Amino acid sequence: MAVDQQQAPQDRAPQPSRGDSQPQPDYPAPYGQPQPYAPAPYPGQPYPQQPLPQQPMPQEPPRHHVHHSYIWLGSIQAGAAMFFVVLVSGFSGFVGALADGETIGDDLPLLMLVIGAIVLGLVLIIGLVALFQWLSYKHLYYIIGPEEFNLYSGIFNKKRVHVPYQRIQSVDQRASLLQRVFGVCTVSIDTAGGSNNKAVQVPYVQKSQAEQLRTELFARKQYATAVQEGMAPQEAAVAVAAASGVVLPQAGAAGQAAVAGSAGQAPHNVLDAPAEIWTDVRGVFGGSAVDTGKVTYEYGLTNKELLFTGLSNNTAFVLVILGILGGAAQFASQMAPVLTGMVDPLVGQFMLLSGQLFGGNLVAAGVALVLVIAAVMWLLSIVGSAISFGGFRACRRDNRIEVERGLLQHQFQGVSVDRVQSVIVKQSFIRRLLGYCELSLGKIDAAAESSDEQQKSLSQGLVVHPFVKMSRVPEILAGLVPEFAGVPVESTPVAPVALRRALIRRGIIQGTGLWLAVIIAIGQLCSNAFIVPDGDGVIALFYINTGAFIGYALCLVLFVLDLVGAVLWFRGSGFAYNEHFMQVSNGGFARETVSFPRKKIQFGYTKTNPFQRRARTATVSARTAAGVGGTTIRLIDVCEEDARSWLDWLKPRGNVVE
Amino acid sequence: MRDLPANQLNPKIKNVWRINDAIWLTVVFLCCFVPFAIAAAVEPEGWMFVVLAAVAALYVAGMVVWLVVLPPIRFMRWRYELSDDYLDIARGIIWRKRFVIPFIRVQNTDTRQGPILRAFGLASVTVATAAGEHEIPGLDSGTAEQLRDKAAELARLAQEDV
Repeated sequence: MAVDQQQAPQDRAPQPSRGDSQPQPDYPAPYGQPQPYAPAPYPGQPYPQQPLPQQPMPQEPPRHHVHHSYIWLGSIQAGAAMFFVVLVSGFSGFVGALADGETIGDDLPLLMLVIGAIVLGLVLIIGLVALFQWLSYKHLYYIIGPEEFNLYSGIFNKKRVHVPYQRIQSVDQRASLLQRVFGVCTVSIDTAGGSNNKAVQVPYVQKSQAEQLRTELFARKQYATAVQEGMAPQEAAVAVAAASGVVLPQAGAAGQAAVAGSAGQAPHNVLDAPAEIWTDVRGVFGGSAVDTGKVTYEYGLTNKELLFTGLSNNTAFVLVILGILGGAAQFASQMAPVLTGMVDPLVGQFMLLSGQLFGGNLVAAGVALVLVIAAVMWLLSIVGSAISFGGFRACRRDNRIEVERGLLQHQFQGVSVDRVQSVIVKQSFIRRLLGYCELSLGKIDAAAESSDEQQKSLSQGLVVHPFVKMSRVPEILAGLVPEFAGVPVESTPVAPVALRRALIRRGIIQGTGLWLAVIIAIGQLCSNAFIVPDGDGVIALFYINTGAFIGYALCLVLFVLDLVGAVLWFRGSGFAYNEHFMQVSNGGFARETVSFPRKKIQFGYTKTNPFQRRARTATVSARTAAGVGGTTIRLIDVCEEDARSWLDWLKPRGNVVE
Repeated sequence: MRDLPANQLNPKIKNVWRINDAIWLTVVFLCCFVPFAIAAAVEPEGWMFVVLAAVAALYVAGMVVWLVVLPPIRFMRWRYELSDDYLDIARGIIWRKRFVIPFIRVQNTDTRQGPILRAFGLASVTVATAAGEHEIPGLDSGTAEQLRDKAAELARLAQEDV
């Protein structure tokens, strides 16, 4: 565990008030803090023998409080929720009274009294909440210590969270609409610590303070890493000091070349303008922008990319399919009378009657309605995802990757590049047809503390481009993560016998079409066996059998799709490895290619079942720490020999032999 | 597959597995059996005795499979090898798995000893990486200590890999 609660060592080195290695930001400290925000020096720097005279408490690094909007914005939110509850309950009571036939005129004074009491109670509650917020504000602060970041919180139960700088995975910022207006955000600091680690959340941090904090944390992390790798502390501090303004050597020639290639013509889209306004305005208490390091590569989304991001998101696709199915169902029920007429005159008469009763137009209207609803939902989801990707920017800044997006709810994620576990190129079916893909980076995610939707979307890796042409992928990767240069190109395909096995696996064992057909058949058989074929029974049976046949047709389509998917999987799948990297592609209608460094493989294994042993194939699985609690990257049915040599490669120093 | 890892578990582990599985099977059996037995005692009906007989038969069959058939096979298939810098595990009867766990990825190593293992003088070693852990059940205490120390030592030399 990187984050633990423990008592801090008492023998802290004395701190000078200012670090000389950091450029001093010039912005006022409006949040009631005694001294201006001053980054503490690196521990390796020579400390002055005597504490500086202007520093009243030399033993304590400065305490940074969060922004005061923590008090009132939090109270307002709590108060609003309370008010809404009261309003709903009061309204229902009022309506109930009206429904009972009482008139307001009768007991107006009483009503006024009740309303007054409610208002008083509300004010009291909001006051209590505000008091509570104020108290917890007083006790919520963080200290950037020499070796670790400390977050103190709690009024009665004191809590202290330590984060050693070295363990910092990423520093993210999130801001809801209201928070954006006031220029504050929630900073969450991710650490790697197994499956039960939680992100350290610092709420209501002023925007510039957050930027400052991020720079500071990453610089200190870099320093800690450098010291651990055997650099002399002083030397490391100097190097980091230089680096916080300068491109890192690791960024490499590729990064520079990429900058040269793309500088000044980063693509823009319609939503960038409002996003830029947001950025410029920075909210009421935003503070001035802070220089957080040099950007070596940056890009946004073009109009087309933004539009297609919206168009091709999965919910939209599902909605379209549902709409078409709904329309088809309506159409089928419209056609039913005609069919029945052919099959059975008696049933036909019945259907004709019902058709006259309900009117044929109604059915057509139903079809139209379903289609319109689907279209509206689709449009909404397009707009929704376009807005959530509005103002999208991804850039490489020093040795970290920063992605920000969201027009209303703002999200900012900064990941240190050595914490990137894998590069994932994902092509959904639509993206594949168009020759585009979604590019994301796998990183270690903290277990979501609050399971809201935002956290869920975060845990699917860091999307660095939602919709990018395949041919542009190498360029983006070279700019964003030059460390991933040298990913293997030629890949070992799966064993030839895998095609047969894939057809069996996807068509029969996991075949959606087949099993759906079996379920329908069982249902049909049972109903045919148990329903007595008299008057009503005949009609019911007719419907069941017709429905079953439509179902069979659907199953046949699904079955064929399963088989086609199996063939596509066979053609498109393979794995590759070289000295430093491994790459696994899994094809099919959708295609996913994952590349990851050998260093990030925690362990690997092969797995065989009796059939695979007979066919002389094996499933290879590599496990990385990406995601929450790890991710397994799997390829089924690799040749036995290939799997064996892969296992040898996996052993320490096995890659040199290759 | 290629040659299996050299070491086998301590043969006493078979008895540990037997005791463990016997306890589990008995618990499950009692959970299924007792309600029907009470119902049959209160209000005897024909089908209840059929159910009771079926549950008892399943229990006996389960005992035979898990106590007589499986332990030797599982023991045969469970192999491990500690090389200088990685841990090699082969296990599984139907789904045979072969793990390679480089020690430089190991984050911590524990030895654990439950009451049953202690009675047999065994210990199990757990090797945890950042993405999951592996347990080697049933090593004699000396080997377990040695394994743990080795893993801990190698895990310290973390930055090796090229």
